[in-house]
Amino acid sequence: MNNCALISGAAGGLGKAMALECAKRGYDLYITDISEVKLESISRGIKRQYNVDVYYKECELTDSSSVRLLWENIEKKGLFFNMLINVAGLDYEGEFMQVDTERLNHIVKVNIESVITMTHNAIKYRIPGERMTIINVSSLAAYYPMPFKAVYSASKRFLLNLSLALNQELRDQNIFVTALCPAGMPSNEEVIRSINSQGIAGRITTVNVSAIAHSCIDKALLGKKIYIPGFANVFLHFLSTLFPSSIQVSYIHRRWSWSKKNEAYKA
Amino acid sequence: MKTVVITGATSGIGFATAEEMGARDWNVIGIGRLPEHCEKAKMEIKSFYPKTRIKYFVADLSEQSEVNRVADEVIAYIDAKCGGKIDLLVNNAGCVRDWYIATGDGYETQFAVNHLAAFLLTYRFLRKLQISPTGRVLTVSSGSHYNTSINWNDIMYQKHYNCLMAYKQSKLCNVLFTHEFNRRMTDSNVRAFAVDPGLVNTDIGLKGTGGIVAYLWALRKKHGLSPYQAASTIIYLSKMPAGFEPGSAYFKNCSSAKPSRQSMDESNGHRLWELSEKLCGIDYASGGIML
Repeated sequence: MNNCALISGAAGGLGKAMALECAKRGYDLYITDISEVKLESISRGIKRQYNVDVYYKECELTDSSSVRLLWENIEKKGLFFNMLINVAGLDYEGEFMQVDTERLNHIVKVNIESVITMTHNAIKYRIPGERMTIINVSSLAAYYPMPFKAVYSASKRFLLNLSLALNQELRDQNIFVTALCPAGMPSNEEVIRSINSQGIAGRITTVNVSAIAHSCIDKALLGKKIYIPGFANVFLHFLSTLFPSSIQVSYIHRRWSWSKKNEAYKA
Repeated sequence: MKTVVITGATSGIGFATAEEMGARDWNVIGIGRLPEHCEKAKMEIKSFYPKTRIKYFVADLSEQSEVNRVADEVIAYIDAKCGGKIDLLVNNAGCVRDWYIATGDGYETQFAVNHLAAFLLTYRFLRKLQISPTGRVLTVSSGSHYNTSINWNDIMYQKHYNCLMAYKQSKLCNVLFTHEFNRRMTDSNVRAFAVDPGLVNTDIGLKGTGGIVAYLWALRKKHGLSPYQAASTIIYLSKMPAGFEPGSAYFKNCSSAKPSRQSMDESNGHRLWELSEKLCGIDYASGGIML
């Protein structure tokens, strides 16, 4: 049976890079995201570049009926997977009480619940007898409690722990789980502007999404449990482990408060 | 009255060309990415030359759906207002990106904007250009096309993205496209030229970049020519009579110059053409019809 990868959030910056990287390695693709127009466009582009089959269906991962339709579609096409990449996720920034309850819970639904559902279903549709690789896109934020991004960083911590635990539990069944923990990624113009505004610190911690996708899939196929892209990020992460989390969190708080004041001043 | 279509016509070389062509009584059709920039450019040219017939269309040329949409709109407009022909297409729009970004079609942005958009737009306008006795396709390339080659193993630079290498490659593509176009269109009167504007004082290296790239570009551009001097080569080519066949299709400072050896390589040209047709989903041989 052909290699086949299932990718969520495939219309975003990292999702597109993952899809292109898998196609380059000869994987057939089943990609999903919320926008059908974007999925159609990216799948057309991939088919023109690589000789693989690309299927797509739009899906609101937090909506159970939409998810059911997705899996019915997969069932109908008779597809089985040996790669699952959970990219779909939401970010936010702001004071806890300034963001409404629904929005915060929505982040939990997309970043956590949808990954559980996706992983559970995809394993049922694994290619029988073959090694299966699962990549969950966590974040460097998973390592720190982050004021002003509290729900986001906690949700990414969940993914990190989930990945590590599942990797241990499922490896006997030839299923390997990798957590990808990137820093900020230059995937759209808005993020790039903010990276550039951070000057040299922004530049050295930033890695091209295409390079992240390439190395991440390499590492995942080798069975690596965690992948942090970029030497600078690995180093910063190492430095941070030398301090207890109470110091980490107060430092992060100070830094974000400072940058917020800075932004307000500039505005 | 002759008609010119210029991409990236809201600033830099594109804007200067639009202004100069407007002053010379051409129908000017500009394509720009942002509606407010298009409006501003139009007002500015109108304020210098009130009688100019100028029309702007908005499109983000990094998306092929947008290229096709704007091509439809422009064709409808020239059929209604400009006698259904285009005399000159100036593929000027270009960009620099210091990070890898995939477009909606999954192509690297500089390759998509600097080369594929020009390739697709030329195809869409080919029939309109063939009606003109002096139909010409000018693609704004650059001296950066020298000393580089096509990275055939990874043309989108997915693995080791380097802003400058990807930019140089896209500009080499412009020249390869120009030469291959002329080889393939021997039966037609339409001729392609690549224009090397030299180092010009524009903001191409500042939009969509930051840090070192933006800093170096800001330093370099101070020594650059004004966009109007750069546009003079385009104006020069627009005035040449029918049957103009210079020794080389690569033009700098209003005279033909020697392009790089890579850009004249026929097998490179052939290969890039076939790949570009595939990536745009078109077939030039079938003659300007959308598949």
